[in-house]
Amino acid sequence: MDALYAIPQLMFYLLAGLVAISSLMVVTSRNPVTSAIFLVLDLFFVAALYAKLDAHFTAAIQVLVYAGAIVVLFVFVIMLLNLKPDALRGIRFSVGEAVVLLVTLIGFVIIGAELASPVPEGLPAGPLSVAAIEEAGGNTHVLAMRMFTSFLWPFEIASILILLAIVACVMVARKEKPESGKHNLKAGAGR
Amino acid sequence: MSVPVENYFLLSSFMFLCGLLGVMFRRNLIMVLMSIELMLNAVNIIFVAASRQLGQVDGQVMVLFVITVAACEAAVGLAMVIALFRRYGTVNTDFLRLLRG
Repeated sequence: MDALYAIPQLMFYLLAGLVAISSLMVVTSRNPVTSAIFLVLDLFFVAALYAKLDAHFTAAIQVLVYAGAIVVLFVFVIMLLNLKPDALRGIRFSVGEAVVLLVTLIGFVIIGAELASPVPEGLPAGPLSVAAIEEAGGNTHVLAMRMFTSFLWPFEIASILILLAIVACVMVARKEKPESGKHNLKAGAGR
Repeated sequence: MSVPVENYFLLSSFMFLCGLLGVMFRRNLIMVLMSIELMLNAVNIIFVAASRQLGQVDGQVMVLFVITVAACEAAVGLAMVIALFRRYGTVNTDFLRLLRG
């Protein structure tokens, strides 16, 4: 019976190790395509972690949006730019970079020690435990109820943000040929 | 028997550290953008784990918004990378020093 109880924990440590390794590989591999592939792996493992935390809808969105859209965008741009792997730079840090690295590492040791300390028991547990969510109609239903009532305005603002991002992308990434653009416009108007 | 929430926090902090170091030390703009995605994901893990620990779904709603913002950021960032590459022929941050267009 003990072994059965240990399986979820083993799953967590397996997934956590895979997430950690693939995060490291994303940052350290020299070829951008390799990095992108490891990013996909990383995002899938994170989605598995979400599923393990009973956040099923979030896990699905993670796979669809991150792995399905964002990383594909990355790979597409890498292909478009035809990037070569980075040249080996050696371990040469300027003084400023070394100081920044040192301060960051110290800060993360402190934060990590703080995060690793047990969460106090007296924290008030909200009404939506896993069992309560199942009772109320499942994760997606509860999430939608929350999102379209309490978070309605942020939701609308997010839609405006997406619209802005679309316009900005088209404006920034189009080819800069104002003369030919005007010409085409005139030609179109003349016809 | 579930995993204590502190383990998720530790994993997330490690992932964030990876992303931060990537942003600081990689010279390729696309790698910098990927590292930012890593950092956003690290924060999302904390949101979901804490949301379950505290018996709320607000954290999961926040994750949806973070994913939205991350998608927008990636799209705009990559568009800027393409524009920079057209203009200067490189995406190496050592050569891109001017803020002026």
